[in-house]
Amino acid sequence: MISGAEIEILSTSFAVATRAILWSLPFAVGAAWVLSRPNLPGKLVLDGLAHLPLILPPVLVGFLLLMLLGRGGLLGGWLAGLGIHLPFTRNGAALATAVMAFPLFVRSVRLAFEATDRRLFEAAAMLRAGPWDRFVSIALPLAGPGILAGTVTAFAAALGEFGAVITFAANIPGQTQTLPLAIYAVLQQPGGEAEAMRLATLSILLALAGLALAGLLQRWSTRRHAG
Amino acid sequence: MNNLSARVGLTQGGFTLEADITAPGDGITVLFGPSGAGKSTLLSMLAGLKRPDSGRIALGSRVLDDGAAHVPAHRRGLGLVFQDARLFPHLTARQNIAYAWKRAPPATRPAIDDVAGFFDIAGRLDRPVERLSGGEKSRVALARAVASAPDFLLLDEPFAALDGVRRRGFIRVLLDMQRRFSLPMLVVTHDIDDAAALGSHLVALKDGRVAAAGEFAAASACAAFQALLDRHDHGSAVPAQRLRSAGHDGARFLWLRADHVLLSAEAPRSISARNVLAGTVAGIAREDGGSLMVELATGAGPILSRITEEARSELALAEGKPAWALVKAHAV
Repeated sequence: MISGAEIEILSTSFAVATRAILWSLPFAVGAAWVLSRPNLPGKLVLDGLAHLPLILPPVLVGFLLLMLLGRGGLLGGWLAGLGIHLPFTRNGAALATAVMAFPLFVRSVRLAFEATDRRLFEAAAMLRAGPWDRFVSIALPLAGPGILAGTVTAFAAALGEFGAVITFAANIPGQTQTLPLAIYAVLQQPGGEAEAMRLATLSILLALAGLALAGLLQRWSTRRHAG
Repeated sequence: MNNLSARVGLTQGGFTLEADITAPGDGITVLFGPSGAGKSTLLSMLAGLKRPDSGRIALGSRVLDDGAAHVPAHRRGLGLVFQDARLFPHLTARQNIAYAWKRAPPATRPAIDDVAGFFDIAGRLDRPVERLSGGEKSRVALARAVASAPDFLLLDEPFAALDGVRRRGFIRVLLDMQRRFSLPMLVVTHDIDDAAALGSHLVALKDGRVAAAGEFAAASACAAFQALLDRHDHGSAVPAQRLRSAGHDGARFLWLRADHVLLSAEAPRSISARNVLAGTVAGIAREDGGSLMVELATGAGPILSRITEEARSELALAEGKPAWALVKAHAV
């Protein structure tokens, strides 16, 4: 039913999206927590930075990553010295995906933090819990289901990244060729429409499953805050 | 004995708070005032949740706030019980109490089971907090504050949500727990009956300034304090053990309203009033509207009675003359 080539494409997609989300999780949670604080100085600037990949053309993000991390880039030479090669590799595809998914990731996790009653942090402070302690013992557990929902949403979005990935990591079957890149590749060939339709169907099913799961988690999260 | 003292100034949104207060390190100090007087703002500053513009806050010799230094709330060693219980919704009642206990100094914290027993919640400990009743939530909140072994406990209108009978029960619990855990307290309230039942000391705020302060009976008798009250609440604090009352066992003082006190020029006999206090007329003041406020010096302290001019002349009441105050048990 599903061909070996398609399985390879799916597994590449999952591997890239999983890496991208796992790497960006701590940063997204940290940024969301910082941005969820009221009266944060410089909030507008930070918020703008976190949203930048959403506004820039994806191709430009890929190009900037190349300029920064490519062989002749600002950090590329140094990374190569450490044995890390990112452009045109699976890790590179994951990095480009992580950067593109970051704004959505931060936004959905931030909603979970903002839904938490901040007065509970005051209560915790009056029981001798310091800021880090309050984050770990109150903020994280209360936002947990919401963070999970945000992670699933970001994962579903990560499966669909295209422009930045193809620019920074190219379209290498078995390495960086994720679902959207594979659809693009088959469309380049005459008579590839049928295969493109099959891949598109897979892509839509995955996205719907992701959204449904995120919705369920969101409901769990809402119930949790009702207590 | 660690007094909690503050001399602070804060201006926000057109409201200025300029207060110098001391809450003694034993007993219960009532922070009294009409709404908008700045009670909760002052409490937030003491707790370290809000930073004063200027001034100094200290617990005993330990400085918590002065111009430069600001000890954050979690390092002050103060407890705070909020109007709403603010239990952590992802934890059970026991876990809420343990949250405080784990972070409390091991040398001074009470055992969780003792605390649960004292607050009569031992059978409720393993419930998620959303399945507790309102009264149970308040008691878990108190138990949590006690388990944290604070050096001083602040309470912000903790009985605001409770009705008559449960409210009196709650006041009883506060008085008992003050003794049982030797925990000095500062309780915010705008209710004069609650204030009298609890307070060994009184600090009254009006428009962000201290209007009256001192030992409860004396401070509550002064004119500046009476002026904070509604006319029908004018009265005096009488030690509770000196009066027969209906359902106020355990209270410290009872607030005896001047409108509820009858005066007799002779020792009354065969009378239903359960409280008859002999005394001497210490003063008679004429009020706006023509009524007279008679102050009677009795063995239980000064008692106020509001009477008409007609009654005064019929009884021939005058300063220095004997008189008897009559109070129904159900009037207090």
